[in-house]
Amino acid sequence: MISTTMPIYRRMKSCGVQNQGLNKRIISGVLEDELYAMQCEIMVDWPTLTIESIQARLKRFTTVRCILAEKVFLRSEGWKIDSQIEGRIKKELGRNGCRHMAALMIDCLRSLARSELANSLRCAMESTSDLDKAGFIEDFFKSYPDLKGIAKIR
Amino acid sequence: MILDFQTNSLTTVNQSGPGVWEIELNSGDNLFEVSIFLEIKAPTLDIRRSEIILKRDVLGVIPDMSSAAAKLIGVRVGPGMTKIVRELVGGENGSNWIADLVLEAMEMLVNAITVPELGKAAEKGGEQIRVSSDGPRIFLNDVVIGPEMIKVLGANPRLKDSCAAFQNIE
Repeated sequence: MISTTMPIYRRMKSCGVQNQGLNKRIISGVLEDELYAMQCEIMVDWPTLTIESIQARLKRFTTVRCILAEKVFLRSEGWKIDSQIEGRIKKELGRNGCRHMAALMIDCLRSLARSELANSLRCAMESTSDLDKAGFIEDFFKSYPDLKGIAKIR
Repeated sequence: MILDFQTNSLTTVNQSGPGVWEIELNSGDNLFEVSIFLEIKAPTLDIRRSEIILKRDVLGVIPDMSSAAAKLIGVRVGPGMTKIVRELVGGENGSNWIADLVLEAMEMLVNAITVPELGKAAEKGGEQIRVSSDGPRIFLNDVVIGPEMIKVLGANPRLKDSCAAFQNIE
């Protein structure tokens, strides 16, 4: 059905994952809507899944104090991505910093986990035409149990 | 230097009539893609219509979501919605990922309704801002809500201590 009214609010989010060499993953995220514009870049060590560095930048925001949130996200440097990471980001970075940036960061880490899964799946399908996908998923998360929670594939 | 994986999402809030909003959320990556539609009506902000359409599932793991979508009818945007939506849409027989997206769509209605209020607050208690991290040459913020109006907004228990803007307000 064609809408004949203008939207009152739109939020766009985008995350990209780039492999740099064998043991570096760079994830970039952007968010834009009527109230906020922000971006973050995260460098993760693979396979230790440690956040090595993060840049969080608020570009459009609502109050004079919002900008204080940028520094709060530096607390995540050294954190390991595990089953607790989503809750930890919401609690420690969202509440003390910015909930919107925290949501973007979670999306970025989910993209990372799914990217690894997708890359492994591509390789597995190239070598096995009738791949048992359920078995593949089980094997993948046996190898990388810390990614299971954040990947949220169901 | 080549992008390995991409996720995109777009949530649109339309006001289709007095006190009636339609929210459409589309989210997709290399493995999954879903479209969620909600119609929400004031004053109770309850869901009147809902639809969840799965468009991509490379791994074949997401169950049929039509019954979950039907269960959302009557759920209200407000306190307690997180637990309710996770129970109805997520869990063993549902999808926790889609439950989170439904919640995100509901939260965007709150943002949409807040836009004019924040606009008024910036008009009343706004101040000019120039911060170095807002870009070396082009600034997106001209006026933002200042300390006095932050105090007024921060008195709302839902906002108090919710983020850096509303922490340690006397």
